[in-house]
Amino acid sequence: MSGFSSFGVFLQILINGILFGGMYGVAAIGLSLIFGSLQIIFIAQGTMMILAAYFTYWAFTLTSIDPFFCFLLILPIFLGIGWAFYVGLFNKVAAAGKNPSLLLAFGLMILLENLMSVAFTPNTRAVTTSYTGLGLSIGDLRISFTRLVVFLISLAATGMVFLFMKKTMWGKAVRGASEDMKAASLLGISPRKVSSLTFAIGIALAGVAGVAVATTYPFDPYFGFVFSLKALIAVAFGGIGSVVGAMLGGVLLGVIESISSYVISGGWADAISYGAFLLVLMFRPQGIFGRIAT
Amino acid sequence: MNKRGANNWRVICFGGLPLICFLLLFPFSVDSEESYLVYFLFLTFLYIALAQGWNVVAGYGGQASLGQHAFFGLGAYVTAISWKAGWIGYLDPIGMLISGAGAALLAVMIGVPLLAKLRGDYFALGTLGLGEILRVVFTQGGSFTGGPVGLMLPSSEYRSMIPYYFFALSIALLALLCVWLLVRSRVGLALVAIREDEEAAAANGIHVLKFKIFAFAVGAFFTGLCGSLFAYYLFHIHPSGFFSLNWALLPVLMTILGGIGTLMGPVVGAFVLASVFELANLWLPEIHPIFSGAFIILVMLFLPGGIMSLGEKPRKYRILQRMLPFMQSS
Repeated sequence: MSGFSSFGVFLQILINGILFGGMYGVAAIGLSLIFGSLQIIFIAQGTMMILAAYFTYWAFTLTSIDPFFCFLLILPIFLGIGWAFYVGLFNKVAAAGKNPSLLLAFGLMILLENLMSVAFTPNTRAVTTSYTGLGLSIGDLRISFTRLVVFLISLAATGMVFLFMKKTMWGKAVRGASEDMKAASLLGISPRKVSSLTFAIGIALAGVAGVAVATTYPFDPYFGFVFSLKALIAVAFGGIGSVVGAMLGGVLLGVIESISSYVISGGWADAISYGAFLLVLMFRPQGIFGRIAT
Repeated sequence: MNKRGANNWRVICFGGLPLICFLLLFPFSVDSEESYLVYFLFLTFLYIALAQGWNVVAGYGGQASLGQHAFFGLGAYVTAISWKAGWIGYLDPIGMLISGAGAALLAVMIGVPLLAKLRGDYFALGTLGLGEILRVVFTQGGSFTGGPVGLMLPSSEYRSMIPYYFFALSIALLALLCVWLLVRSRVGLALVAIREDEEAAAANGIHVLKFKIFAFAVGAFFTGLCGSLFAYYLFHIHPSGFFSLNWALLPVLMTILGGIGTLMGPVVGAFVLASVFELANLWLPEIHPIFSGAFIILVMLFLPGGIMSLGEKPRKYRILQRMLPFMQSS
């Protein structure tokens, strides 16, 4: 702990990292689900987040809809977008292997980034509500109110997806299909329905993460790609296909970043998180929190 | 086979040779300093070599690397640093070869752990991480790499666009020739066998890791060459530009768009995509990336096998069938 001036500072940095990591986590769950069951690296996940962030921004600026209320609007919209993406685009190239899917995602990313840049200008935006500056103070610690709420919402989203996967028939179908699509379809599970559902949930989670970004950080149209990369790291930490793992992976990534940028320097934080990513890929490909499938 | 071979020679004689003659004479027929086309072709040749470099690893070897920007940036920095130190000169072919070799050396060094441990998507993600780490290392490299600002090279050396054009053309032709020779050799067959079924290839006595590393190094070599030439062209080497993820993603796009695992696919893909980018840039300067993004989506929707698949659908597994006929039954 020699790098920290006091335990309080360490705790503050830890909390900042956890709160920030929650955002990576939500984006990572979506990515992990899509990757785990459809084998698509959906590189446009971060850009979808930014789209949701713009949605929140405009809803707040034009009609002063509260960003946290905006969740309720964004969830169904992004479920619909995700479903449409799968049925309209990815389903059509699913038979041709992985490459076309990756390229489709890449094309979508370029398209969306630049549509947003033309429509909303490339200026940095931020949602500033009456409660943005509020914070809780516990001793020396200071926790931003919006970040805390966003983190709690992220946890709630994780819990909901987890319960959906474990307790409902549809969730069971998604899990079964991600293990073995052929066997699942023999048991009467429609691959198309399951895949479009998975995709819709994944994109909806990007929507949740987008609202989180909008309320806590400034963003611009090209910000999304970095989030996609971070979400990929979180997915690798947590193990591909795992819901809770992706969330924990996101939090871990947030903590690694905030601690390394404090102890060493902000410039090296990326290299350290990518280094950890490489090590995990090489030595624990099932994820830090994952178990080896039996 | 014989008939196809003859056909190939006819294509080369009547299509390839006149095209190459045209490309050789072209820069002299226009004002090379003013002509946008000379610059466009220079860039396209670089893209062809980059795409061909990725095609060796991913198309033939089946190991999709997303970290080619590491080799591009390294090639550029090797050139810049050695030129500053006075070891090589301006547009020095030796310098370019050293830069390419440096990139290939890095590929071997990181290929041993990465290729031994990681497969498929994991390898792609691992190389992506590697490229990003290298970018940070060069950004934080202090006075040796010039930090985030990078290195400025003596741009007063610039005389004309013509040598750049010919260097780029030679690199592209060299890449094409290398891949052509490689595919026809035992190495190419081994790579394709590894791509189709790694375990079967190993069972047939192919040293999987050795061939994977070789392909990775060849791809890195050409990527490093391109980085070196581009460093000579820009005279300002900085980490955000030369380690930009674009240098990893564009070759991937071009190769898949043209037809992955084919000789001419990367060439066609590079030319088509570069044209689309540049035309969109000329005509719709404000919104050209939108157009490019839409173009990529449309091609993948209607031609998921790439442009080269237009004429040759049934040939998909031809090489494998010829080589391992006994495997068809399994």
